Amino acid sequence: MGLLTDELRARIGETAVYTAPEPVGRAAIRYYAMAVGDDNPLYTDAEAAHHAGYRDVIAPPTWVTETNQYMSGVRNHEGYMGHSWGIEVPNSRLVRGGNSYTFDNPVYPEDIITATWEIVDATERTTSKGQDMLIVTSQATYTNQHGALIGTNTETLIWTALS
Amino acid sequence: MTPPVSQVDVSTLEVGTSVPPLRRTITQTDMVAYAGATWDWHQLHYDANYLAAKQLPAAVVDGQVFGALLVEQAQDWIGPAAWVQAVDFRFKNLVFAGETVECTATVREVITTDEGTMIVLDCEVGVVGDKARVAAAPCSVTVLVR
Repeated sequence: MGLLTDELRARIGETAVYTAPEPVGRAAIRYYAMAVGDDNPLYTDAEAAHHAGYRDVIAPPTWVTETNQYMSGVRNHEGYMGHSWGIEVPNSRLVRGGNSYTFDNPVYPEDIITATWEIVDATERTTSKGQDMLIVTSQATYTNQHGALIGTNTETLIWTALS
Repeated sequence: MTPPVSQVDVSTLEVGTSVPPLRRTITQTDMVAYAGATWDWHQLHYDANYLAAKQLPAAVVDGQVFGALLVEQAQDWIGPAAWVQAVDFRFKNLVFAGETVECTATVREVITTDEGTMIVLDCEVGVVGDKARVAAAPCSVTVLVR
């Protein structure tokens, strides 16, 4: 054990807030739907969306969970420009554990999204094979310009000590 | 306006009822499109030199796309009356450019609420073909049918 430092433990509760500099826009919705291969007309056809009870096209639910689009900044040496806590764990391997999403309200083209990330937990344990693991759980809460809750994204990152 | 009607008769759903599977080949081109759409330019998703240096056989599919596929599967099944309330997935194995994944799902629970019928699905994302393996499991999707 020892992957969970006092320094990291003290960061539980830390937040990072990103507000998009502009509204979502129809193009971003259409682009995402096309990229994932989802031809649901709710995302591109306002009439179909009206029929389903929406006032306009909506974004695919998982669209909101991609935080990079709300950020500004520069790409790192691996080309990545996204939210990161900058947690460094020497002599370890990082893997993504998974995601849990909740969706409360639809995203419309005129919405301006704010993502509020929080470190909600950091724990360590030893696997049955005797490997030390550090598990950091973060949660993003997404809201629109009216303060309405769009959804949440809980993500786990797992560092495994290299022997 | 007439509210949408579910394409599925929710009154006939039972625990264990199967949802039509969703199968998708994720090409390198699809991955470039996804990287662009999500503002994620990490070299892991496209750069041959980066991948060779990391001893990876091909570009790695962004796992969050599985969430999008699980939503698509549930919505295509129920239709526009579906509102996906929750999606949960745990990664088991990396998926590489050019591989085909299949989302499978069965009904775990049907709950009648004031808002409508809530359907909880047990799902799995698997890689099909020569190197068949689990990509994400356990997974679940919760859909409200109003």
